Amino acid sequence: MDALMIINQSGERQFTGKKDDWDAAVKLAENCQEFAEDVEEELVADQLRSCYNCRFRRWTSASFICRK
Amino acid sequence: MKVLVCVDDTDNMESPGTGHLASTMAEAVDRFGWGQSFPVTRHQLFVHADIPYTSHNSSMCFGAEIVEHHLGSLIDYASDYLARESAAGSDPGLCVACTDRIGEPEKLIRFGQRAKSEILTMDEAYGLAQALGIHLSEHGGTGQGVIGALAGAGLRLSGNDGRLKGKLKIRCENNTATVGEILAQTVVDMVCSLDGTVLREDEPIYVADWVKAVLKDGKYILPVFYSDGTYSRGINWRACTKQQLRDF
Repeated sequence: MDALMIINQSGERQFTGKKDDWDAAVKLAENCQEFAEDVEEELVADQLRSCYNCRFRRWTSASFICRK
Repeated sequence: MKVLVCVDDTDNMESPGTGHLASTMAEAVDRFGWGQSFPVTRHQLFVHADIPYTSHNSSMCFGAEIVEHHLGSLIDYASDYLARESAAGSDPGLCVACTDRIGEPEKLIRFGQRAKSEILTMDEAYGLAQALGIHLSEHGGTGQGVIGALAGAGLRLSGNDGRLKGKLKIRCENNTATVGEILAQTVVDMVCSLDGTVLREDEPIYVADWVKAVLKDGKYILPVFYSDGTYSRGINWRACTKQQLRDF
């Protein structure tokens, strides 16, 4: 398990960098085979290949969970 | 007559986004000769564990000026289109609000604002829509999308929420265009700094490949920021980046 992800109380993979660790979100996505860029209107990170821009992330109030 | 058309909860992880459906509906308004459509805007709603949403809980809205007797055709078309094209497992909702006829628009705006920080119910949405004479309908699944659809229309009506779908297309050399050129080539009404200063028409702006407008004070605004010019060919004003516009 990557240290940037934890398993939360619901058993989901949750990003530990919350919503503002842009570098960590890029690093994770660079090493992810499942990354898929979301639709244009939902992109939020300047670097395209970022978990923050992935269609498999689901935003939560504090961070996001990965559904892959 | 002026209408706002808003849709929500039409997608799943693999399908085209709700914005794609909204854009297609907007294009239909022009194609069928019902009137003229205006840009699609994205509106962020409350992200909360108790709200079912696919990945970001946003709704998509467009405005249009239509000939009154085409209103029924627009609603029928949008309803059929949503029922047909929404993704499996989604809960699509449709709102069509004739903004000239809403007696108390502040109630619709307030509903939209509340939907950014509260959990609202379908009953509340239907109740308000009925009271204000707004079309609100569900087209599959639980129909929960009616909440976001109504809220998105309210936020669009407020004139102070959301960013425009799509990137602005600006013809220029060396990624630089003056404010006047940007205004002439796009839907943008004003180019403003993040603190609200309106830039003059002769001011050069550095525009990279991703340039996006937001809705503010009822106008389409291109937000820019001041830099030292190091990464923008010496041009100090640059179009804001995705990260800077995340919270719009």
